[in-house]
Amino acid sequence: MKRWMIALASATALLASSAMAQEKIKIGAAPYGLNAEFMQIWAAALQEHPAVKSGEVELTVFDGRYDALVQQDQFKTMVTQKYNAIIFAPIDVDAGAAAVQSAADAGIPVIGSNTRVNSDLLTSYVGSDDTISGYMEAKTVLDKIGCKGNVVILEGPVGQSAQISRLEGNKKALAECPDVKVLEDQTANWSRAEAQTLMENWLTAHPKQINGVIGQNDEMALGAIEAIKAAGLDVKSFAIAGIDGITDALHAVKAGEMTSILQDARAQAQGALDLAIFKAKKGDYKPQSDIWTTYKDMPWNDGKEKIYNVPWTPVTAENVDQLLATRK
Amino acid sequence: MPNHSSTFQPEPGQGVRSMAEEPVMSVGDDKKAKGWLGSEQRRLLVQEYGIFLAFLILVAVLSVSNEFFLTAGNISNVLLQTSINGVLAIGMTFVILTRGIDLSVGSVVALAGIVSASFVTSSATAGISGAPYPVALGLGIGLLVGIACGAVSGLIVSRFSVPAFVTTLGMLSAARGLTLIYGGGRPVPALTPAFRWIGTGDVFGIPAPVIILAIVFAVSWWILNRTRFGRYIYAVGGNPHAARTSGINITRIQFVVYVISGGLAGFAGMLLSARTGSALPQAGIAYELDAIAAVVIGGTSLSGGVGRVTGTLIGALIIGVMNNGLDLMGIQSYYQQVLKGALIVGAVMLDQKRNYGA
Repeated sequence: MKRWMIALASATALLASSAMAQEKIKIGAAPYGLNAEFMQIWAAALQEHPAVKSGEVELTVFDGRYDALVQQDQFKTMVTQKYNAIIFAPIDVDAGAAAVQSAADAGIPVIGSNTRVNSDLLTSYVGSDDTISGYMEAKTVLDKIGCKGNVVILEGPVGQSAQISRLEGNKKALAECPDVKVLEDQTANWSRAEAQTLMENWLTAHPKQINGVIGQNDEMALGAIEAIKAAGLDVKSFAIAGIDGITDALHAVKAGEMTSILQDARAQAQGALDLAIFKAKKGDYKPQSDIWTTYKDMPWNDGKEKIYNVPWTPVTAENVDQLLATRK
Repeated sequence: MPNHSSTFQPEPGQGVRSMAEEPVMSVGDDKKAKGWLGSEQRRLLVQEYGIFLAFLILVAVLSVSNEFFLTAGNISNVLLQTSINGVLAIGMTFVILTRGIDLSVGSVVALAGIVSASFVTSSATAGISGAPYPVALGLGIGLLVGIACGAVSGLIVSRFSVPAFVTTLGMLSAARGLTLIYGGGRPVPALTPAFRWIGTGDVFGIPAPVIILAIVFAVSWWILNRTRFGRYIYAVGGNPHAARTSGINITRIQFVVYVISGGLAGFAGMLLSARTGSALPQAGIAYELDAIAAVVIGGTSLSGGVGRVTGTLIGALIIGVMNNGLDLMGIQSYYQQVLKGALIVGAVMLDQKRNYGA
């Protein structure tokens, strides 16, 4: 009799624990790659989300290794393992669509984050509009040089969605200053070393003519700064801007060498996670991240919106110390 | 210093090679011998100094078409921009001369760069505890990391007879992974000014990296042309079986060339981080391709045993001058890639013509 009791008790315990495991929401995050600082901050922010910390959500992050096919295979894995929702930052706008399709076929909601995907099947998207940052950074450069003089543009890898949108924004700002001449406009592939070489050569080709540098990301702006220093010129006599707000750039802003526009990886990640949980629980959920109170311009709206635009934050002498404190 | 063809004046390396030559090669040599009966001077010029001529023509064209090209500041820039690829390409020359290849140098650049940087950063969080340490320690560590990577590749190639392509392809992946693990995928910023001197300093106006490249070149030239070890490298690449029969320890030679390539890649990694001011985990991606390009453009044969380090230096300079010149003229970088491709293939075509006659 006693033996029966023990068996029964352990069986109930087993059932209960498996029932509990089922209650736990399984969410997969598929970022395009984890080699660069931005996506590392993004992935870390997911782990720090209150729902993950409390154990309500079981989160798995898949490193897409900058390969559309790898990401597609990871989606297959998540579909087979019956994930409740997926957060997706695709490497490519078009190649990501097939992955979204496979999840939609299995009835799994997909929330886009950071990078866009050409698919109507995306449940929601949380990101920042790159045309706006492109406009903002060019505007700070043009304002500093007084809407006259010469600038150079360091572009991202041609064809990538961020490069296309940021260039569009750059051009919009430049159109407002018809007296400003774009002396050079080339890709440095987001790379500091490549930008440094380009800028060295441009400083030679246009001696004392370059007034401003529009870098489509911080890395390239930092490369330009190194080239200017190496040429023995005064960095502060140039107007230089970048985008992203990486740690090195924050230090350069603090030193008065450039301006940067912060893209809030944390808000993009945690916003997407709140939406993913919301969809997985079929609407029975209140967002837990503090980002919804930080950004009044991006209301939660009961999780109904198709697109959530996380605002860009210009990094200034006033807020740079506070931002640096968040980077350990 | 003509040391390309075994029918020409024997350089130290060539003596061993022709001695070690197998009959198979004599077919090509016969054809070549016929060619020499023609306009000897012209052929000599094109074949032995073709790449040097090409370099001079390129410089002449750019000097005429751009007023800034031949200024002191720009010459200094070109040399500076060539220094890292030059150092890598010289290391690659040693490996290719033994019929090997080292695909891992780009990843070793990143690994040595980030490990050494963690010793010489003044950032409170990115470095190892107690950083910044003296520059000499950082340089020593970076060099050691490069040498260690080279030693692993060299050991596997020479002892276990795994093809160099496969071994160093594995190292390319592994070293990049180690770079990301070591730095947690984050850059190591704020390198001390003393460390940065190797990338940004100068001696009497000559940039430090250019002086370093000159030293690396001079030592390598001496090793390859004036030492027994250098002769053995040519012998092993020219004909490994004959080299072994003549009592050369080819295992050791093969091992050492990868150590040299790895060590120089480690050094190049520190030059790069010293130049950019921050060691990045994504640094050096695809650098191996430019290094191989410089070696090939410089006339070193991928089938081993033939080539010279002077050619490699000129090959690296051609790539540097071409990129710089096209930048100065405001030509899109896409064209630079097309031209570089044409140059690589063209150089090998010239090489084929040299080896097998027209």
